[in-house]
Amino acid sequence: MTTLIKQHPAIALGSRIGVIAVPLLVFFLCVLFVPRFLSVDNLQNVLRVGSILLIAACGQTGILIVGGIDFSMGSAVALLSVVTVILAPELGVALAFTGGICVAVLVGLCNGLLIAYLKLPAFLVTLGMLLVLHGLASLLSGGMPLDAAPSPGFLWLGSGHVAGIPVPIILALLAVLSLHGLLRYTLVGRSWYLVGTNFNAALNAGLPARRMVLLAYIVAGLFCALAGAILTSRVGSGQPNLYPDLAFATIAVCAISGIPLNGGRGSAVQVVCGTLIIAMLNNAVVLLNLTSAWQQLLMALVIGAAVVLPQLSNVRRRCVHLLRGNAQ
Amino acid sequence: MKTIFQASGISKHYGTTCALRDANLVLKAGQIHALMGENGAGKSTFVKILVGAIRPDSGALVLDGQPVVFGSVRDALKQGVVPVYQHSTLFTRLTVLENLSAFGLGSAQRSWARNNCLDRQQATEVLSLVGLDVSLDSLVDELSLGERQLLEIARGVGRRCSVLILDEPTAALGAREANRLHQALQVLCAKRTAILYISHKIDDIKRMADAVTILRDGLTVVNAAARDDISAAQIVQHMLGQTFEPQALCVSTRGEVVLEARDIRLTPTAQPLSLCVHQGEVLGIVGVAGSGALRLGEVLAGAASGHGGTVSLNATSEVVNDRQSAMRAGIGYVPSDRHADGLFLGLSALQNASASVLRGFSSWGVLRLREEAGPFDALIAQFNLNPPRLDLDAAYYSGGNQQKLLFLRNLVLPNLQVLVVLEPTRGVDVGARESIHQALRALACRGIAIIVVSSDLLEVNTLCHQLLVVASHQVAGRMMADAQTDAVLSMMAGAC
Repeated sequence: MTTLIKQHPAIALGSRIGVIAVPLLVFFLCVLFVPRFLSVDNLQNVLRVGSILLIAACGQTGILIVGGIDFSMGSAVALLSVVTVILAPELGVALAFTGGICVAVLVGLCNGLLIAYLKLPAFLVTLGMLLVLHGLASLLSGGMPLDAAPSPGFLWLGSGHVAGIPVPIILALLAVLSLHGLLRYTLVGRSWYLVGTNFNAALNAGLPARRMVLLAYIVAGLFCALAGAILTSRVGSGQPNLYPDLAFATIAVCAISGIPLNGGRGSAVQVVCGTLIIAMLNNAVVLLNLTSAWQQLLMALVIGAAVVLPQLSNVRRRCVHLLRGNAQ
Repeated sequence: MKTIFQASGISKHYGTTCALRDANLVLKAGQIHALMGENGAGKSTFVKILVGAIRPDSGALVLDGQPVVFGSVRDALKQGVVPVYQHSTLFTRLTVLENLSAFGLGSAQRSWARNNCLDRQQATEVLSLVGLDVSLDSLVDELSLGERQLLEIARGVGRRCSVLILDEPTAALGAREANRLHQALQVLCAKRTAILYISHKIDDIKRMADAVTILRDGLTVVNAAARDDISAAQIVQHMLGQTFEPQALCVSTRGEVVLEARDIRLTPTAQPLSLCVHQGEVLGIVGVAGSGALRLGEVLAGAASGHGGTVSLNATSEVVNDRQSAMRAGIGYVPSDRHADGLFLGLSALQNASASVLRGFSSWGVLRLREEAGPFDALIAQFNLNPPRLDLDAAYYSGGNQQKLLFLRNLVLPNLQVLVVLEPTRGVDVGARESIHQALRALACRGIAIIVVSSDLLEVNTLCHQLLVVASHQVAGRMMADAQTDAVLSMMAGAC
């Protein structure tokens, strides 16, 4: 019954334009009110910081589309960094990073197997994984950050340049393009939307629904691994507390960009816009010399607005109704 | 008779489409008023306005002589307008008594201001009013579909109820349960409740209703005609806007055995059952709700597993374990609950229709999107899909057209050999029903074996060559389709 009344096409189009309009608006506000925001160096910095979040959010998007969620990303990148730094002296930089990346993909595989085939709730599986992996990373590193032997190779992913463009930005661009291609033009991407919209119907249509859910977690593991490798290279060390709230930041990105948590919807364009909003705001807060407490409050405000605004007419109707109900 | 609830001049637009234009309705005490119309005629919109779920653009509602404006369904409930929906809204993990009193929580008073628990005495009275004979402490899970429908009505009339609105109350019910429901409605009528009865079943309407209102394309084409002034044929004609002629029986010929099921048990203790289906044959499986007929259909399609036994395809001797292997083997499937198990609401109609043949237009896992719509062009016209396009959200389509989308999904399967359809025309209007029946006949003529599971005897009688009657999860009888309806009915009722 509730599904019968759907958004009018015009509104759907409006919200599609809104996706791009909001980051533009934030950009102009920052240009107007934040000193030193509009400089090549600063904008490049915004993008470089945003690129790591963007790559991880690409993975989270795939998972949200199949109707899942992943809280374990923060610990996965930490374990990746610790493993990479430990392996680096013995195997060399390239193999060490490969090993670290394998670890993160393996984490995705474990999440996926537990959720898709043992039918455990994604929320609990990935929350448990967050704790387990953090424990593992702490054990391996002895609880302290391990410094990597300084070498230009180790730092290249995080601080290198190709044709004058920072490597993380190039990788983020590649990640977004591949996510876009995957979602729009492949059998797997299409299946993700179908599975996330109605799992039972997907089974009945003869789709390998469970395999598709598993695949979403593995692909997320890959994206997460790429983000973790860049992060490890940037900080040049293996840290059990590398980016503890990465998963929450990616979920915030998705919430801001209007990707629902109940599956079936989401696009690469949305993720880019959501990440840009958060990256610009983070940068603005630093430039304005606000404390981290203010930073968090502002972020909460923005996410709150992103969740409430699209529902504004509903919320208003409910408020009116509540007030009238009380008056009677 | 006293007028209880009156709607006049109700109009509602969605964007540029007019869902309802200047509709009028007068509900009188102790009268059953039927509201009919094809899917998409505006019935749902009208009902939603009557129960306060949406606001009309214009028009007025008058309840007991007082003009009313409903802000929400709760508002309407408070004033005694009680809807009972087609899709169950019961809490299946709670008991009958808990369900009855849970509804009380939503009623007029603040929940903490009084003791909400309906006392057992009252609850028993309410149940006996609707003729429902179950223990107050049994879980709703354990009730049959018919009992649930009665409980839902009991929950509605347990409160102050002057207008009862029933949306397709017998859609999911077998004949016996439908009878029971009708008796309950007679009792309510005697207590001077006004009842609005929405149904596609013309038999029901002719038997039950005192007055008939018919909508077509948002317009009221028949306004409160007395039952005896309008014939069944006229009702159909008004709903469709054209004369409707039932098609002749299927003329396809039987070929070799395609699908064979051996020793399937629907419950661990039931007798095993076996059956085979031939090319071009239409096999009807009938049974009342809860008899296991639907379950058998699901097992044959690979959507559920029985307790032991095998389903296999003859040509390839492939054994069906799940939907994926069934699909590979060429078994198409239209589930009975299209919202829960069939459709992807929120995705486009095209994505819904092509879900089973993604591999057909992809190479190396990359979709050739240009080719996706190709196979459907001819089928859309053949099926009278309305609106005749596939780029809209599947949720925009009316029930009958959504059902057509599910058929489209199966018709394009490249190696379709068997099509299992469960309740193919439940909650579907006469026009869509006819297109679906025609499509099934055309498929049978192409040599495809068809298994129709339905609780609608008229439907299986016009479609099928052979009937299999299921009762108590076992085979109660097999017969040719033109057997006496009474004989089939007694078999369906037999072991229950």
